[in-house]
Amino acid sequence: MSRSSVSAMNWEAQFKSDTSTLIQSGKNGKSRTGALALDSDNEDQDITMASASESDSARARPVSVAPELYIQDDESPLSQLTKHWMNERHAPDILPAQEELLASLLDHIRRQSEAVQLLRGEPSASEEEHIRIMLVQMEVERVKFIVRSYVRTRLFKIEKFARFIMTDATIQTRITTAERAHASRHAHLTDRHFHNSVLQSLPETQSHLDDTPIFMPPMITKPDESRPVFVHALRDCPPIRFHEDLTLEMKRGHISLMPFSFIEQLLLRGYVELI
Amino acid sequence: MANTRQFGDLATQLVMESRRSTQTDALLKYNDSLVRSLLREQRRNERISGSPPALLIIQTAVSRNKRCLLAYHSHRIDRLRDLYWAVGGALPHILNNQDTRSKLSPHEVDYLRQYNGSVMEFRSEFSHELDITANITNPPKDLHVLVHVVRDCGVIQTELGSINFQKGQRFMVRRADIEHLIVQGYLEEVS
Repeated sequence: MSRSSVSAMNWEAQFKSDTSTLIQSGKNGKSRTGALALDSDNEDQDITMASASESDSARARPVSVAPELYIQDDESPLSQLTKHWMNERHAPDILPAQEELLASLLDHIRRQSEAVQLLRGEPSASEEEHIRIMLVQMEVERVKFIVRSYVRTRLFKIEKFARFIMTDATIQTRITTAERAHASRHAHLTDRHFHNSVLQSLPETQSHLDDTPIFMPPMITKPDESRPVFVHALRDCPPIRFHEDLTLEMKRGHISLMPFSFIEQLLLRGYVELI
Repeated sequence: MANTRQFGDLATQLVMESRRSTQTDALLKYNDSLVRSLLREQRRNERISGSPPALLIIQTAVSRNKRCLLAYHSHRIDRLRDLYWAVGGALPHILNNQDTRSKLSPHEVDYLRQYNGSVMEFRSEFSHELDITANITNPPKDLHVLVHVVRDCGVIQTELGSINFQKGQRFMVRRADIEHLIVQGYLEEVS
């Protein structure tokens, strides 16, 4: 984990320099070299390195993208995604989809790949530039890995709770349209498989999937909100009330183990992360 | 022996099979005969009439059997989905494998086909940027990888143009281009 977040830094720096270059060139109509000069003023080697591959895509892109959102934010999109990815992997329930964040990262990945393709084809590129290109490619691959893992984690949960999702309106607001379509297809598919393999051969009175016999768990798998999770407070949190006379006030940096249901609200508001 | 059998014996056998499958981490052959006899038992139980206490016991047995049947099938499709993702969503690879194929029931083959369709539809959302069915167990460490061809897999498009992978050859290729072939056992990583 630490390894990947270290190298993730380069990519973030690049995203920022990318967007700032974009703004600069958009506002002042700076040329390609102008944008490059702007970046090489910066002492950070990584950023200079990134600009070599970025300048081409900056030229080709429409300027109408609105990157302000991320510049004002103190967290880069990638570290945000990494956080959401970890939360998603540890939470028993499905967390709200991060559609905008994911879309902006996917766009960025695509532009980077296109830029890399372009630059690779340039015969005049020096040895040093090739190494830079390789680093960018490597970084893109690693970001793709996180995106993939994030999407798949959600997909796994969605399949597991597919039938519950179809009956519950609140959970549907937390997933994307594509995810909901998949959940619906999956619920349908599982039902049909059960029907074909088992239920159709049973007598009419037994061929339903919604029995509620006593002393048996329900037939629809629901997220287990009481599952314990490790919680790391990102800032000072309002007190959490477990019951009548037991409350916990988490200070910034505090780590604790508790059932997911108690921490869910604070997690959604960004006070804590799961580890 | 058959006469002294208790209610729920068959269902217990079925659930034990799921359990063995988990413990040995292997997909066992679909136990068609056991499933059938259990279904027969269910139909027979439905027809039994008796005094209320006896009916209560039969009713409990009926719902337990049914639950066990469903659990068995549900456990199997979970395993099949794991299998599907383990080979990077390459459905033909599973279905062409005679060993695996012989363990599936016809309904399970249908299930896998439809599941594959559903996943492919979901995947198309991301098709411009990345392939979500690719490996997620190890984060990439190198861009390129030295591979040894274990089985012929024909001409594959890579960033260096198309390469004809033939058994016994070695290539240095971009990992993202051929990762699915490693997963499916056509290529082996040389370390």
